[in-house]
Amino acid sequence: MQKAPYVTSYLTEHTGDDAFATLDGYRARGGWEAARRALTEMSPDQVIELVKSSGLQGRGGAGFSTGLKWSFMPKGADKPKYLVCNADESEPGSFKDRLLLERAPHQILEGILIGAWATGAEKTFVYVRGEYAYPAAVLQRAIDECYQAGILGPSCLGTGFRHDVVITRGAGAYICGEETGLLESLEGKKGQPRKKPPFPAQFGAFGMPTTVNNVETFSHVPHIVRKGAEWFRGFGTEKSPGTTIFGVSGHVRRPGLYELPLGTRLDEIVFQHAGGPPEGRKVKGVIPGGMSMPILPASQLDVPMANEFLRERKTMLGTGGVMVMDDTTCMVRVGCVITYFFRDESCGQCTQCREGTGWLHKLMQRIERGAGTLEDLELMLDVAGKMEGQTICAFADAAAWPVQGLLRHFREDFEAHVKHGKCPFPESFEL
Amino acid sequence: MPKIVVDGVSYEVAEGRTILQALDDLGVLMNGVDIPHYCWHPKLTIDGSCRLCQVEVEGIPKLQIACNTLVTEGMVIHTQSERVRKAREGVMELLLINHPLDCPICDQAGECKLQDYAFEYGVPHARTREPRRAAKKRVDLGPTIVFDQERCILCRRCVRFCREVPGTGELAVFQRGDRSTIETAPGQPLDNDYSMNVADICPVGALTTKDFRFKIRVWFLEELPGVCTGCANGCNVYMGVANNRVYRYVARRNDEVNQTWICDDGRLSYKRIGAEDRIDGHALQAPDGRRQQLSFDAAIAQAAAALRGVIERKGPGAIGAIASPHATNEDLFVLRRFLEALGSSQAGFTVPTWRADALLRKPEAAANGAGCRALGFGDAAPLLERVRGGAVAGLVVLGHDLLATFGPSVLETLRTLDALVLLDSHRSELEGLAQVVFAARVPAEKHGTLTNHAGRVQRVVPAVEPPFEAQAEGEILWRLAQALELPGFAGEWDPYAVSRELAAAEPAFTGCDLDSLPSEGAPLRGARID
Repeated sequence: MQKAPYVTSYLTEHTGDDAFATLDGYRARGGWEAARRALTEMSPDQVIELVKSSGLQGRGGAGFSTGLKWSFMPKGADKPKYLVCNADESEPGSFKDRLLLERAPHQILEGILIGAWATGAEKTFVYVRGEYAYPAAVLQRAIDECYQAGILGPSCLGTGFRHDVVITRGAGAYICGEETGLLESLEGKKGQPRKKPPFPAQFGAFGMPTTVNNVETFSHVPHIVRKGAEWFRGFGTEKSPGTTIFGVSGHVRRPGLYELPLGTRLDEIVFQHAGGPPEGRKVKGVIPGGMSMPILPASQLDVPMANEFLRERKTMLGTGGVMVMDDTTCMVRVGCVITYFFRDESCGQCTQCREGTGWLHKLMQRIERGAGTLEDLELMLDVAGKMEGQTICAFADAAAWPVQGLLRHFREDFEAHVKHGKCPFPESFEL
Repeated sequence: MPKIVVDGVSYEVAEGRTILQALDDLGVLMNGVDIPHYCWHPKLTIDGSCRLCQVEVEGIPKLQIACNTLVTEGMVIHTQSERVRKAREGVMELLLINHPLDCPICDQAGECKLQDYAFEYGVPHARTREPRRAAKKRVDLGPTIVFDQERCILCRRCVRFCREVPGTGELAVFQRGDRSTIETAPGQPLDNDYSMNVADICPVGALTTKDFRFKIRVWFLEELPGVCTGCANGCNVYMGVANNRVYRYVARRNDEVNQTWICDDGRLSYKRIGAEDRIDGHALQAPDGRRQQLSFDAAIAQAAAALRGVIERKGPGAIGAIASPHATNEDLFVLRRFLEALGSSQAGFTVPTWRADALLRKPEAAANGAGCRALGFGDAAPLLERVRGGAVAGLVVLGHDLLATFGPSVLETLRTLDALVLLDSHRSELEGLAQVVFAARVPAEKHGTLTNHAGRVQRVVPAVEPPFEAQAEGEILWRLAQALELPGFAGEWDPYAVSRELAAAEPAFTGCDLDSLPSEGAPLRGARID
């Protein structure tokens, strides 16, 4: 299953080098050559075909084929087309894009320019999470360098192709990471996802055809152009090629970012790379892909981190944010944290999400207080089921799945609360 | 034209429409095909957020919202399947977990879509033990509307209405998630010419008009189809009637006239029906200002005597008439025939004006100026000239619009008349100049038709009986003609018979008689009148 060498990184290979964030440092590592090749030697369709054949999947959470997404953009130029780089990184447990923004901004910009060439976009909006003040400043510095060097602007790399990149700062709402919520926010409106159809490729930012890609997704693109689809497919699994950056947090000895091939086993990430739980503790559960993905119990960590395998365990790769919880953790409190987050962040448009997130949180709190009943557990599952798959965007799913996951694997924690009338995990974190 | 199958029934629908739009076009939505919905409204943009209109579309795994799903050729839709039922149940349950149980004091009770759909599609018991959301119960949104945050289900129809129809955009959703609430920005209240429509389109009791709230439980109201008489647009309304009183107008949908809207002034124009300044009975007016209440018969006799005096002295050509743009086509037709029978051609009319806009409000602030024109009445100014010159010495005046158009100076002109017979519904300075004053009915008190600015003939029905003696202008003129022994006025006044006669006599009014007129009205034959 694992074809690539054990630890190989290309996205983060040079991120330890301060100079890599500068134009000179990036060029010294061969940077901007891929864009030059794409713009001078390849047609837009050839770029799309290359990215399609590489099998690159979006790294923002949904895992959709990047090449296919680009091919949805209408051909021709009867109106402006836009790219959006989604740097909102709002999923709790995810912090990989921050590294790329701070340490490898030119890598992102090069991917953007190649994407712009492929889709015919005249402008890219980089929507940066509001809290990411420093990453935004680093990226802006890189953009300024590119304009000065003629890489961006009226004639990118001297080819006559025009492309502009501007940064828009978010204001801290989770839902603005959802692509159409992002577009609304980008336009200066309240961040609320749009109903689909129409899809962004037809009616996106300011009503123009738009493609939204994640920071990491763009970062892979120069490497694919430089080294080819076959090379890229040499990493990861057949269905999920390439590497990704796993952000490991929680009860591990070495939390941090680990660029590893897709398909790397979750237990390997947790125990080998991140060093496992602190002395004397055992892993209780791991959220594999950011807070909206269902949790896995310690007994199920032998799963390769790729959607085709994670789906069998009723969870998904998401953003690759691995959150590790040890045996002191009260899973009902985890449920309270998660349901509070989603209640707080729901945009409030759709009935099921607006009302369901609040209800789930209230039920979770009641159980945590020890005032719940066994019927409440069924009720929670029922409410989660009513929210799933029925709303404008995937937020309601994201709010329902973790609850389902917790009840699927840690029902005994919930039942213990009901039985004892209080929380049986005195050492767990405070709410 | 794609064909779709809904619950086993085939429909041919227009291209490019969504399922709800297509069914609404055909008039079968909630009228044969039940797809409950909150946020969708036929005259507003699609929102897609309430999620209640989910239906099963064959070939698509997930349920689809009917409001935003485009129809395609051969689409097979199930609106009553078990999955759909479950989904509706889920939405209803979630909408109700925070909804207050204050139906007994809620004005919407009885016409509330939350009540209706909860009854039809919901579950009869609550599974939540959590306290319901407590929020503000009486938010003053502006001069016309009060908002109850707890009752709001956040369908955002009102928000879209303000943005899309009057274009004023006062309302917005503030906060997010289950803290979301409708609000206005500080210092910018909900205040536009159409503000009260938000209460009509609010499916629950969250938005109520200050005018109607707490006046009467709606189940006591009989809702009669009527026409607003505030201006020449003739917006369709339901007149809410109880205890021989009109309590409110709400907009009645007519896509040809007013969509589903009505302006605030028009909505409140019902107050003119039971107003303090109604002329409450026929009267003999003495020159010293004293009024002597008369029976209808006695008033007819007095008026006939006054007019006969003029005819005897100066001939029938000295009798003139001022037509009223507030009268029905039937009233006006009788007036025209009255003059013809008399042998006079002295007639005219005038229409008051008000602040118009591009939406519904038309410049003429009367319901039937177009009817006056269609029946051949011209400008009143030349007639007043002839009064001043003495050629016209007796005048039958319908209404008091002369005052608004010509100002108080018209009183001097009218003072020169030998005889003035006034037929009017509301008090004015004209009364003091008349020998006989007839109390006229307003359109909400009689059968008849009105012609709007675009030449659409629409019917009015009696909603209330005036609590004093008053007759339709047509009936008064009919009886006056009989008293003057004019030919062609045999038998009792019958607006239906008159409307048939009008339709036969005036080709433009073909098909516009009271028996044939459809509920949405019908255009006059021939060119648009304006």
